[in-house]
Amino acid sequence: MINTEMIRQEINHLVTQTRYDLSMLSHMEDSAEKTQTFQRLWDSLSSIHFLSELLANQIHSQAYLGNETLIPSNSQNQTTPTNNQRTFTIEELATFDGKNGRPAYVAVNGIVYDVTNNRAWAAATHFGLTSGKDYTNEFASCHAGQQSILATMPIVGRLV
Amino acid sequence: MTEQVFPPESLTNEAIAERLSTTVRRSVNKGLIQKKKVVYLELNGCSGNIISLLNGQNPSFEYTLTSMVDLRYSNSLMAAEGEQAMEQLMSTIDDEFILAVEGAVALKNNGLYNVIGRYKGEPLTGLQAVKWFGEKASHILAVGACATHGGVSAAKPNPSESVGLKEVLPDKDIIMLPGCPVHPDWFLGTLAHLILYGEPDMDNLNRPLMFYSTLIHDRCPRRPFFDRGIFAEKLSDKTCLFKLGCRGPVTRTDCPTRQWNGHVNWPIGDDTPCIGCASFGFPDRMEPFISFDTTRTVKDE
Repeated sequence: MINTEMIRQEINHLVTQTRYDLSMLSHMEDSAEKTQTFQRLWDSLSSIHFLSELLANQIHSQAYLGNETLIPSNSQNQTTPTNNQRTFTIEELATFDGKNGRPAYVAVNGIVYDVTNNRAWAAATHFGLTSGKDYTNEFASCHAGQQSILATMPIVGRLV
Repeated sequence: MTEQVFPPESLTNEAIAERLSTTVRRSVNKGLIQKKKVVYLELNGCSGNIISLLNGQNPSFEYTLTSMVDLRYSNSLMAAEGEQAMEQLMSTIDDEFILAVEGAVALKNNGLYNVIGRYKGEPLTGLQAVKWFGEKASHILAVGACATHGGVSAAKPNPSESVGLKEVLPDKDIIMLPGCPVHPDWFLGTLAHLILYGEPDMDNLNRPLMFYSTLIHDRCPRRPFFDRGIFAEKLSDKTCLFKLGCRGPVTRTDCPTRQWNGHVNWPIGDDTPCIGCASFGFPDRMEPFISFDTTRTVKDE
């Protein structure tokens, strides 16, 4: 069962990476950079295909498969795998402040996002905001109508 | 440039700036364009922008002053002083002129925290001067972080109650040139564009697109390290400075390609993160400038 969950996470991660690459491609002019991004898209797609085959196979046979052979290493904006059904209290969220090697999480509209490797969150800070907090109001005032920002961010759980 | 340029023209920054400035020079010599009067007010700030401008190359600052514009007033550069300087400033107010302002406008005590001279025996505050001249100017350039949004002068706790130019002149179109300091090319290039072609294309925050359109992150030579998740842990590391707090991903300037000090280097080229000096909200909202506790794992914190 744990394998299914890990494969699902890996697929989600690749989908996020793909969305990010697509949004980047639409703004990109440099052809050398484009080639690199296309290559990465191609790689992500191959991995997604492989993982979905694996998942289907696993459901049929219920066979045990070792983790290390299932999950291809992917260092692109890699974050610590976490269960994205996890719930956080505001106190728990506060511990994910990005310091001392910890991941950086923020909450918007009850959903907790991982900003550890989000480019606008260098050193786990963003325009005077520090991570580990609920920023529903701040997001609404600065990024009204920009839901696409949230759509490309990895979700790690819900704020309760 | 005497010989004709056929496409493809060289598109380096130097070549473009050179073409821009030589076209101005030729047009001035032929009498096609009149030298515009410029009033350069220094308000609540550190004079850092004028120091940066002295480093200008294409066009050089000296050339700008002698051949491109008629600089009527600049308290740092003019020979006149005291009443004489004030007279020269005031004699320009009814002419057509471009107003460049560096430094923030101090509002506290009706502007008395920033007095730029004495006129007819009374102290002339930066607030009063900017209102008088802002209303009359043909174009207004806000030069540097303090003039564009308050910058360092308006940083917490802001004892002088400093604000950016727009707060004092809400109805005026102001060309925003953020940066701490502004790059000489950004100011002189915009000035040259104003003289030659009028206002340059600008973004929704009124920054000229020719200098402020690209994120530093998108042209950063260390971008491949970011994409692969390879991050610097200390200042001398040659990889991506993101985890140390680099503000390149939120700052729009052409620093990676233009570079500073005569186009020789820039902060990231010298292994120190971008502090976002050309972002609105600098410095308070760009802090902390450097963080070492994001990557370092310490047992028993």
